[in-house]
Formats: sequence, C-alpha cells, structure tokens
Amino acid sequence: MAHTLPSGDQASDQDKWDSGGLECNGQLLIEIVMRNRLTALVVDGDTTCWVLEQELLHSYGVQTLGVDNSRDAVDLIASDAEFNLIIIENILPVLNGLEVTRQIREIGVRCKMLEVTACSGESERQAFLATGVDVFIEKPLDPDHPKGTRWAVSEDPF
Amino acid sequence: MELVQIQRRLVDYTKSLFMEGFLDAQFLQLQQLQDDSNPDFVFEVVSLFFEDSEKLLNELTIALDQPNVDFKKLDSHVHQLKGSSSSIGAQRVKNACIAFRNYCDVQNIEGCLTCLQQVKQECYLVKNKFETLFRLEQQIMASGGSVPTIELGF
Repeated sequence: MAHTLPSGDQASDQDKWDSGGLECNGQLLIEIVMRNRLTALVVDGDTTCWVLEQELLHSYGVQTLGVDNSRDAVDLIASDAEFNLIIIENILPVLNGLEVTRQIREIGVRCKMLEVTACSGESERQAFLATGVDVFIEKPLDPDHPKGTRWAVSEDPF
Repeated sequence: MELVQIQRRLVDYTKSLFMEGFLDAQFLQLQQLQDDSNPDFVFEVVSLFFEDSEKLLNELTIALDQPNVDFKKLDSHVHQLKGSSSSIGAQRVKNACIAFRNYCDVQNIEGCLTCLQQVKQECYLVKNKFETLFRLEQQIMASGGSVPTIELGF
C-alpha cells in the first residue's frame, strides 16, 4: 500500500507547513491525512483514555482501531495489519506495554510508536525508548503530540 | 431564570472549578473535541470515567483488605485511575492518585488506606461538580440557547 505524497506537492506542503500558523497547519494536516488516509492503532486498557485517544485522532481525520489488551494488539500486528501510528499505554492486561512494544518491533514493524502512560519515571522512559518507541508521553495526551507525529508520519515513504 | 443569567452562571461556575483546582486545562481540550457530529462527547467521556473509576475504587478497597496486600496490583489500579482522571482534567483526583502511588512504592498500608479515602472523596466531589455543570448546560439547551465556551485567559 503506497502512502507517499505525490512528489510535486512535497516541497510545497513543507513550505506551507513551515510558514503557516497553527490554524493553517491544522487545516493542512487534515488535507494531508485525507489524501493519505492515515491509520492508527490505539492500545489502552482503560476505556476512558481509549475513547479519548481515538477521538483525538478522529478529530484529525485519522482512522483508528482500538484494542484494550496486549494479546489483541500483537495478534493484529502479526496478521499484517498495517498502521501508520501505534499509540500504546504501559499497563495493559496480559503483557505490559514494554513487552508488547518489543514484540511489535521484533515482528518488523517500523511505523511511529507513541508511548502514552500515566506515570513517567526516567527509567521507564529510557526503557521504552530503548525498546523502540519514538515518543514517550505522560498522560494526558495533548493534541500537539499526535499533530506533530502525524506530520512526521505522512512524510515517511512506505 | 433568564437564559443569559443561566449562561452567566455556567461560566462563573466553570471558572470556579478551575480556581478551586477541581479541573485543569485538559478539560478544555475535552470540550474542544465536542462538536455537532459529537454533541454529547464530554458527557459521555465523563460518564465513562465515573463508571470505570467506581470499579477501580472497588478493586482498590478489596486489594487493601487482603491479609497480604499485593502492592503491584494496587499500583497498577492507581496508575490506571491517574491516567483516566488526568485525561478528563480531574486535577484533584489525579493529585490524590500521585500521593497514593508514593505510598504504594514504599508499601505503606496505612498511607495507602488514607489515600484511598482521599481519592474516593475527590471522585465524589468532582462527580457532584460535573452533575451541576451538566444540569446547567441542559437548562441552557432547553431554553434554546447555546452553551458558552470558556476561555482560559481569566
């Protein structure tokens, strides 16, 4: 599945982004997302957070799939489901987030992974970064994080 | 009461919740996700939170009642509660959870029991606050008005 931006637009999107203000970037982001139909997997055992994280992504036009436990997450990835972004909480039923991240990376998935957790200690942060998440965030998930990541993801060639 | 008066009351009430530390900026983010295609989003997420938190508080009570307290289990429940409360902007609940986790770390049962009471209290208080908030919003909608948005510049 190709997710590249048409090459003609690439430079101008970057310029638009750099010179645009917040409103402009939000609009541009939505355009890019709609063009590329980006998808995200949200893995969080807590229903409130799960709903919120998905809604946040929806507001940027990202299609999401949510699972509330590690086993489903790993099974999904192992069955070749492709996502542009994975958001994962640390404390999950079955395996913890760190272990799931390790397994997902071992399967060979290279998309952006965001670790979102209620408690962030330095050692936790280091452990996650070492396992292969791209960004480590303490809850609550504020809109700027997925925004910045969405942009980065849409630039990645697939 | 006149529509304008109810709207004024809602704005003042919401501001007081921020002043008293019941809510933080995250709540505004939540409100921003609500729109015409999702008109009851805030109400739904807040309701979800209280359903979940009730279960978590029960689990915590049971866990602390055991002869051999499983601190890891305790910690993971508090972790979850901290995450969800911070996600809806329930600041005082979140802070109570932070204190709770510190006692879990040092395996202090008395401290944990006190914190559990504290967390329960904060959940109860903020639940009442939300109920008042939603009631005011409903009154406004019923009078044909629109709910005023709060700016965080006060």
